[in-house]
Amino acid sequence: MKTAAELKFGETGIIGDIDASHPSSRRILEVGFTPGQVIQLINISAFNDPLAFSVRGTIIAIRKNEASCIKLI
Amino acid sequence: MKTIILEDIPLITLVGPPNSGKTTLFNYLSGQNYKTVNYPGATVEYSISKIQKKFNFNANILDSPGIISLIPNSPDEKVSVDSLYSHPRYGVPDLIIVTVDASQLSRHLLLVRQLIESKFNVIIALTMTDILQRKGFEISSNLLSQKLRCDVVLIDGRSGEGVENLIQIVDKNIESSKLIGKKNPVVLDSNLDIKYLLNSYKEIEEIEKEVISCPKNAGEKINLKRANRQLKVLNEAISGNNQLDQSTLKIDKILLHKFWGLGIFFLMMAVTFTSIFWLAQPVMDLVDSGFGLFSYEVIKILGNTWYGNFIANGIVGGTGAVLVFVPQILILFLILGLLEDTGYLARGAMLIDKPLSKIGLNGRSFVPMFSGFACAIPAILSTRTIPNKRERLLTIFIIPLMSCSARLPVYALLLAFLFPANKAWIAGLVLAGIYILSILSSVTVAGIVNKFKNKIINAEDRSSFILELPAYRVPKFGMVITNSYHSAKMYFRKAGPIILVLSSVIWFLTYFPDYNPKVDTHNLSRDQAIELQSSVRLQHSYASDLGKFIEPVMTPLGMDWRVGVSLISAFAAREVFVSSLAMIFKVTDDKATLQSSMIHEMRKATIEGTGQKLFTPATIAGLIVFFIFALQCVSTLAVSRKETGSWRMPAIQFLMFTSLAYIFTVVTVNGLRILGVP
Ligand SMILES: Nc1nc2c(ncn2[C@@H]2O[C@H](COP(=O)(O)OP(=O)(O)O)[C@@H](O)[C@H]2O)c(=O)[nH]1
Ligand SMILES: [Mg+2]
Repeated sequence: MKTAAELKFGETGIIGDIDASHPSSRRILEVGFTPGQVIQLINISAFNDPLAFSVRGTIIAIRKNEASCIKLI
Repeated sequence: MKTIILEDIPLITLVGPPNSGKTTLFNYLSGQNYKTVNYPGATVEYSISKIQKKFNFNANILDSPGIISLIPNSPDEKVSVDSLYSHPRYGVPDLIIVTVDASQLSRHLLLVRQLIESKFNVIIALTMTDILQRKGFEISSNLLSQKLRCDVVLIDGRSGEGVENLIQIVDKNIESSKLIGKKNPVVLDSNLDIKYLLNSYKEIEEIEKEVISCPKNAGEKINLKRANRQLKVLNEAISGNNQLDQSTLKIDKILLHKFWGLGIFFLMMAVTFTSIFWLAQPVMDLVDSGFGLFSYEVIKILGNTWYGNFIANGIVGGTGAVLVFVPQILILFLILGLLEDTGYLARGAMLIDKPLSKIGLNGRSFVPMFSGFACAIPAILSTRTIPNKRERLLTIFIIPLMSCSARLPVYALLLAFLFPANKAWIAGLVLAGIYILSILSSVTVAGIVNKFKNKIINAEDRSSFILELPAYRVPKFGMVITNSYHSAKMYFRKAGPIILVLSSVIWFLTYFPDYNPKVDTHNLSRDQAIELQSSVRLQHSYASDLGKFIEPVMTPLGMDWRVGVSLISAFAAREVFVSSLAMIFKVTDDKATLQSSMIHEMRKATIEGTGQKLFTPATIAGLIVFFIFALQCVSTLAVSRKETGSWRMPAIQFLMFTSLAYIFTVVTVNGLRILGVP
């Protein structure tokens, strides 16, 4: 299954699930990455990490490692 | 004007996610007349004030740090959340006004739900409805109020729109809750599972769908979609009220560009950095000479007595040493505040997160490290924004290696000694090199310390970087200025007493026991006699005993006790090194030519006994190296102790950096001599 970390620049995806075993999963949920939400990778930092996603009308930057716990449909 | 905070009037706490408009509302209600306080024993601060008279409502209002959930994720968040439930000084708030960004309703309602579930007395202040409107949507506060079963008021804290209405509702709420009596909120179970979160979100999304509507006709909606497509920025799926601010996306295309982004970032930092020095320099000189004149006048009035000298050099001089950095700190906070308010600082943290994470730091370590170039004290204080404890401690650890501005006068003197005035540009280049070396050394130390993980830093904490990049906006100058003023005041309160006590101690060591030496004042002017006296006094002082005691340590550096004494005095504040050298070498303080006459004296100085020159290119280079590494600042140690909670960290910092400095100086001096540099 594809994760948010594998999105290409400008690509959108719909969140299917959040990997609850990831230590940051709660915070990821709390900032708005929840199943069903449409997210878009809108910026990639100069060193390819972190990634900035559009989610729920705002932009949230998270590390690749954290993005990999966001499973897409 | 002082605000008097009475504790028997109602307490209203402002709560809300970051950037939801808390502080804007707070400033409007308080009239920007507030005081900022630390939670006892913690690094989190809050602002408190009385609601302005003109609102005709008697209550305290408290601005709390932004939180996104009542389940804390870091020690600082825990302090903020705990004090919501029961403030260490004011107890349970009578009412919570929670600010909710209407354009980010679903994200911000999560906290509202938790607050209501915890049985807090809550009123919602709905902000940013103008932004929602610009997107073509409307929100029904009545419906929202029904759904959540709490009062909802639309406000704009910038113009004060809706605030009168808010006050009325607050008044009614507090009157009626007086009848019921205060309820105690229940702490949310921090083990609430993810299912609970998901359920909350589901309900919130239902509510959002009902309360937000699009009043425009369908035709316009289609146009909106077409516009989105044309911009190729957004997928159609992300439209509706979840669309992003278009200008923000455009600006980010440049500022977060894969190649330009980093270049612009470094350029911005370079400009900030140089302006800190250039803008501050004239003011700093003014403060410096002002206090110089002041202490001179004190001596004139009180006479050349021990108490006259104590007040002139200990108290007035010490206060000057604190105040001289205030201009720089103000400008630093001003620029950082502006960058923060525009929304750029979060982007900077994102850009630099990857390389910093390689050495155990975090994108958020960047602002504190950068501030370290002005002064380590505000820099250490600003590490509070790093949620991860390990990363915060590591950042604090390396901050003293950033070349703070107190080292500048020292470098200026030493470089002027090495390079003649007509070759000042070489000195400039070397100075740039010193700064680069300080960055490299701090990065190296961080990398090494990170390798030894728990040996030095006693905290294991999962590294994480989750940061909202807020929409760009024009900064609010007034608010930034108020904040800078408060930060500078905090620096003064933190560093002031320590520096003052220390400079008094050092004054004592350099003044006693032979405080009134007999000197031949024949043929000397009054000022010259005073200079000669203080020089003799210093030579017989406790400080010189101490210097002679550490002379064996100085010998491998090719230096003698006199430099040792100056290095010891420099612990009060690094730049004291210069003035104490001046005292030791009997340089008459002729203001305009102090530096050149000092250099003249330094060139003549020889090591007692051997006749060898004391200051040579090799020893001067060694001194520069010493200042790059040594942690010679008691205030830094004290603040490090305060912020890390024990003496462990400052002790390791002190021993490590000072011994590094010593070793590198020995290597530099002797290495250069082997290479044939005198
Ligand atoms: N457009 C708009 N901006 C607002 C409104 N209220 C506050 N702001 C701006 O939002 C930004 C963040 O507000 P602030 O009070 O610092 O948020 P805090 O982090 O919750 O304290 C500031 O630049 C304010 O000027 C509002 O109703 N509409
Ligand atoms: Mg605020």
